[in-house]
Amino acid sequence: METKNAMSDEDSALVVKNLHKSFGSLEVLKGVSFSAKQGEVIAMIGSSGSGKSTALRCINLLEMPDKGEVMVNGELIRTKQKGRHRKPADIRQVNRIRRQLGMVFQNFNLWSHMTVLENITEAPIHVLKLSKAEAIERAEVLLQKVDIYDKGKCYPNQLSGGQQQRAAIARALAMEPMVLMFDEPTSALDPELVGEVLRVMRTLAEEGRTMLIVTHEIGFAREVSSQVIFLHDGRIEEQGSPAKVIDNPISERCRQFLSQTFGKM
Amino acid sequence: MFDLYGFGGTLAAGTWVTIKLALASLLFGLILGLLGAGAKLSRFFLLRTAADIFTTVVRGVPELVLVLAVYFGGAVIINGLAAQIGYSGYIEINAFAAGVLAIGTAFGAYATEVFRGAILAIPIGQVEAARALGMPVLLIFRRIVLPQVWRYALPALGNLFLILQKNTALVSVTGLSELMRNTTVAVGYTRKPFTFYLTAALIYLGLTTITMIGNQFLEQWAGRGYREA
Repeated sequence: METKNAMSDEDSALVVKNLHKSFGSLEVLKGVSFSAKQGEVIAMIGSSGSGKSTALRCINLLEMPDKGEVMVNGELIRTKQKGRHRKPADIRQVNRIRRQLGMVFQNFNLWSHMTVLENITEAPIHVLKLSKAEAIERAEVLLQKVDIYDKGKCYPNQLSGGQQQRAAIARALAMEPMVLMFDEPTSALDPELVGEVLRVMRTLAEEGRTMLIVTHEIGFAREVSSQVIFLHDGRIEEQGSPAKVIDNPISERCRQFLSQTFGKM
Repeated sequence: MFDLYGFGGTLAAGTWVTIKLALASLLFGLILGLLGAGAKLSRFFLLRTAADIFTTVVRGVPELVLVLAVYFGGAVIINGLAAQIGYSGYIEINAFAAGVLAIGTAFGAYATEVFRGAILAIPIGQVEAARALGMPVLLIFRRIVLPQVWRYALPALGNLFLILQKNTALVSVTGLSELMRNTTVAVGYTRKPFTFYLTAALIYLGLTTITMIGNQFLEQWAGRGYREA
């Protein structure tokens, strides 16, 4: 295991090396590596089953990768092998790093027994140990930012999908994470609600936040990302600037995928 | 009429003991049920097996047998152990504690299954969101899982608590002065079985009615945030 790496790794916000993951006999990730510099926006595209969501979930260890390394802000997530299973070496380290990796889910996953405001203040109060007043102050700024300032007292299922997803983004932002990860954030939304969520995400990208976005919104990916990764069958098939990957793909599979996706639009 | 041939006070005292017995058993049983559910959902084979044996045995044995086993069987075991360490006197088991143990254990076995089902009913995304924010396991259980467990568990737990309240009458066989025991005593003295058993029935009905009303409010509270579709 190498803990010291080249300088480029040290100043990257996120480094992912050689991720492998199998579910039973199905090998979903076959060695995925990439890195994100501070302020970089990476879009991960690919057909369903290509492993892009799994790759994201392996980064914050919601899924335990079978092999590979993740480094956040220069700190390697330490793991150990226990029998056939791989485990975090120190769950407290994992939890500390997870606070640096904000995650936004496809199905929002707002806690349904809490109001929107409580959803946003929960982790800052109980994990970051902020005072209630500080947490509420922070939450109100974020509610304003995602444009649902008047919905703080509502329960999640009193809101539209778009509002819920924006609340979920605010919840992730409340931890002031180093990297924001989005797992198909607009895939569960009605078409007319997609725009409001993308608008918020575009603002975040313009602020210079480091973002990793798994998405089917190719147009959005081209517009906001600095790097596009096309995943196919558990491997990175093509990688580079949006102008390269989306407008002039080299790989036949990437070309096919893009034409199918645009064909549907 | 209300002094019930001089036994009104006795029945009131018995009712109070019954209430305390029911509440203490409920508390004990809820804790047991949560632990049992935790064990059943555990990664560890031994814990899962222990919990399986627990629910299979306790749910398969009549509550009356449990009460007798704990009270009389417990006395034999404790006095046997005391004799081993050289204690010659007779230790009497506290009938109230034995009752709580027996009735609470029965409740706990059923509650184990209720909690297990309720925990499984919580969408996995609720827990994943908390993990992704770096919340430690116990915090997730306390702040995210437990509050949502009640919503799924309360209807069934309310039912179990009704049964528990009526099961407290079984503890009368140990001589504990709860409502059923005191009623029997009153019948023995006055030879008015109809009056006293009817009175006892009405008191039990009163207690269970309060439970049902209380449970409705609790269900409303636990269902907050879920009303609107």
